[in-house]
Amino acid sequence: MFSQLTNRFGGPLSAALIGLIAIWLIGMVILPQLLMVDYSLKPNLLPSEEGGPKDQYSLVNYATLFGNTIHLSIFFKTIWSSVLVTLLTLIVSYPLAFYMAKVATPKQAALCLLLLLIPFWINEILRTFSWYIILAYKGPLNALLLGLGLIDRPVRFLSGDGGVLIGMVYAYILFMIFPIYNAIESLDGNQVKAARNLGAGWIRTHYRVIIPHAKPGIATGCIMTFMLAAGSYAVPALLGSPGSRWFTQIIYNWFFEGGDWNQGAAYAFLLLVICIGFIGLVMKLFKVGLGDIAR
Amino acid sequence: MDSSVHLDNVVMRFGGFTAVQKMDLRIHSGEFFSFLGPSGCGKTTILNMVSGFLKPSEGVVRIGGEDMTSVPANKRPTSMIFQNLALFPLMTVAENIEFGLEVRGVSKAERKKASDRLLELVALEGSGTKKVSELSGGQKQRIAIARALAVEPQVLLLDEPLSALDLKLRQHMRTELKEIQRKTGITFIYITHDQGEALTMSDRVAVMSAGRLQQVADPIALYRDPKTSFVASFVGENNSIAGTVVESRSGEVVIDAGVLGKLAGRVTQPIEKGQRATLFIRPESFQLGSGLDFTLPTILEEVNFEGSYLTLNSSAADQRTLSVQLAANQYHEDMIAGRALSLSYNSKDAIVIAGEASDV
Ligand SMILES: Nc1ncnc2c1ncn2[C@@H]1O[C@H](COP(=O)(O)OP(=O)(O)O)[C@@H](O)[C@H]1O
Ligand SMILES: [Mg+2]
Repeated sequence: MFSQLTNRFGGPLSAALIGLIAIWLIGMVILPQLLMVDYSLKPNLLPSEEGGPKDQYSLVNYATLFGNTIHLSIFFKTIWSSVLVTLLTLIVSYPLAFYMAKVATPKQAALCLLLLLIPFWINEILRTFSWYIILAYKGPLNALLLGLGLIDRPVRFLSGDGGVLIGMVYAYILFMIFPIYNAIESLDGNQVKAARNLGAGWIRTHYRVIIPHAKPGIATGCIMTFMLAAGSYAVPALLGSPGSRWFTQIIYNWFFEGGDWNQGAAYAFLLLVICIGFIGLVMKLFKVGLGDIAR
Repeated sequence: MDSSVHLDNVVMRFGGFTAVQKMDLRIHSGEFFSFLGPSGCGKTTILNMVSGFLKPSEGVVRIGGEDMTSVPANKRPTSMIFQNLALFPLMTVAENIEFGLEVRGVSKAERKKASDRLLELVALEGSGTKKVSELSGGQKQRIAIARALAVEPQVLLLDEPLSALDLKLRQHMRTELKEIQRKTGITFIYITHDQGEALTMSDRVAVMSAGRLQQVADPIALYRDPKTSFVASFVGENNSIAGTVVESRSGEVVIDAGVLGKLAGRVTQPIEKGQRATLFIRPESFQLGSGLDFTLPTILEEVNFEGSYLTLNSSAADQRTLSVQLAANQYHEDMIAGRALSLSYNSKDAIVIAGEASDV
């Protein structure tokens, strides 16, 4: 890869390029993370105790999570709910992406993209808050359903995980649609025709021809959505009920309310490990490599 | 089994643009039928209507006498070989061939038998486990044929299937396709813009231009008796000379071609006196000297030696360039640019078509 770079830009410039990337990676990504790991392995001490006999590396902060059943259950619930959000988003996104990539005329596809994009010009907090209004006990959705006679008592959308799930699917749908849309878009239309021509119905055409082709896009979308969902703070904070706390909220509390950065760092690091594990699992499941995803 | 195809007054419009003009055409069961025309004339659109990917704006497609209007693409007894082949790149060669059978719920063992048999038919025994990307262009071509035949279609649709191959392979595949058609007895509908392909393989050819059928005939009739000036100029090479009809006898007319004088040629449809018409003479119908019915004095411009034959470009009295084809042994040293050269032809070897041909 370096020889490719030198061929294109010449020696000094490519050295400078690589240097910049290295500085960025080390300075902005690796060092802060290492600092966090360092924090997480040390106890939370008063400034006077630093360097004293208590200032020793240990796994105590990590063990805290496994000793606290409430935190542990929130941890697993966060993972499980993020998986659920990912699946729901995939189910909503795939047909939309397919429609835009292969069914719609270029004009219709452009209109769809625009309609999907416009809401994202508004910031996440506001968008999420609008869901809070829509889903409220006396909000417009309940009013509509009551008006249509579909329900006879308002539903408490915001009391369980329902609100959080809806809010997250909405917040991260673009991160799922775009990679899938790109992948399906690149499929030769004659492949679909060939499958149809050989007698395949729509379901078989999807699972034998279109989905295998779109797999890297689906994997990318799932990974991004999962990471965003697991790391989300605003959506559960706004749309969640006390009973549906997200693990990020616990981390936040350690840092800014408990003032225990060491404990918070350990929790954050555990979440990161799980997320990386999830990426590995998805890649294995979809049989795709890092190269396919980065495409 | 009746596997005829009937395009019953079919029209295809895209918005305001008519890609296929009203067309009534019967393709016989077991026939090797070609559509020949320049690119963009609507050939692929016709195949798409037969295979069910497009619904005709008007008219009905019948296969084996049955109305196909409400039969979706995946239920029609047709099989298509795509211009770009469209093999499934993520499946093995055998999986590609067996796909249509898998859809039909054929057991694994039966499928394997079928794909082995088809691989043998296309002379690629033992390649079943290969990836599509490991095959050469010609091999991919054969796999596409095998895949299309696996579902035992009544009608095989081929959309310029040889256009991506090099010349040698293309000629070889022509023979092979013809052979496969003979062995299987399936109706072949073949699309091409290459007249050589259409003429050598087909039982009948439909020549198309701008969405309109020009003529449907067997290759020899098409070459000998073109019905329109488009066909006369598109199929094979032709010299065209425009003029006004001055005499009209049965089977023959004489035109007044200005400085070139009066020239006669055959007609298949009578043309009245006084009408404009175009006389077409094939390059190989000219002879040197003045031994035949009509003689044209010309000045030689260029001689091209092409192996077994010579082509001469020679300028007639009205400055138009006539192209002449002679057997190579007719060559002699006097053939130098600038020399006078008499060309003669027999009126039975020229054909006159009503109207004035735009120079092609
Ligand atoms: N889906 C479509 N929408 C609009 N125009 C089309 C469509 N398909 C084909 N055409 C037009 O119809 C004409 C014939 O196309 P086609 O049948 O592909 O030609 P050929 O196969 O003879 O090269 C072309 O001018 C093409 O642009
Ligand atoms: Mg075409």
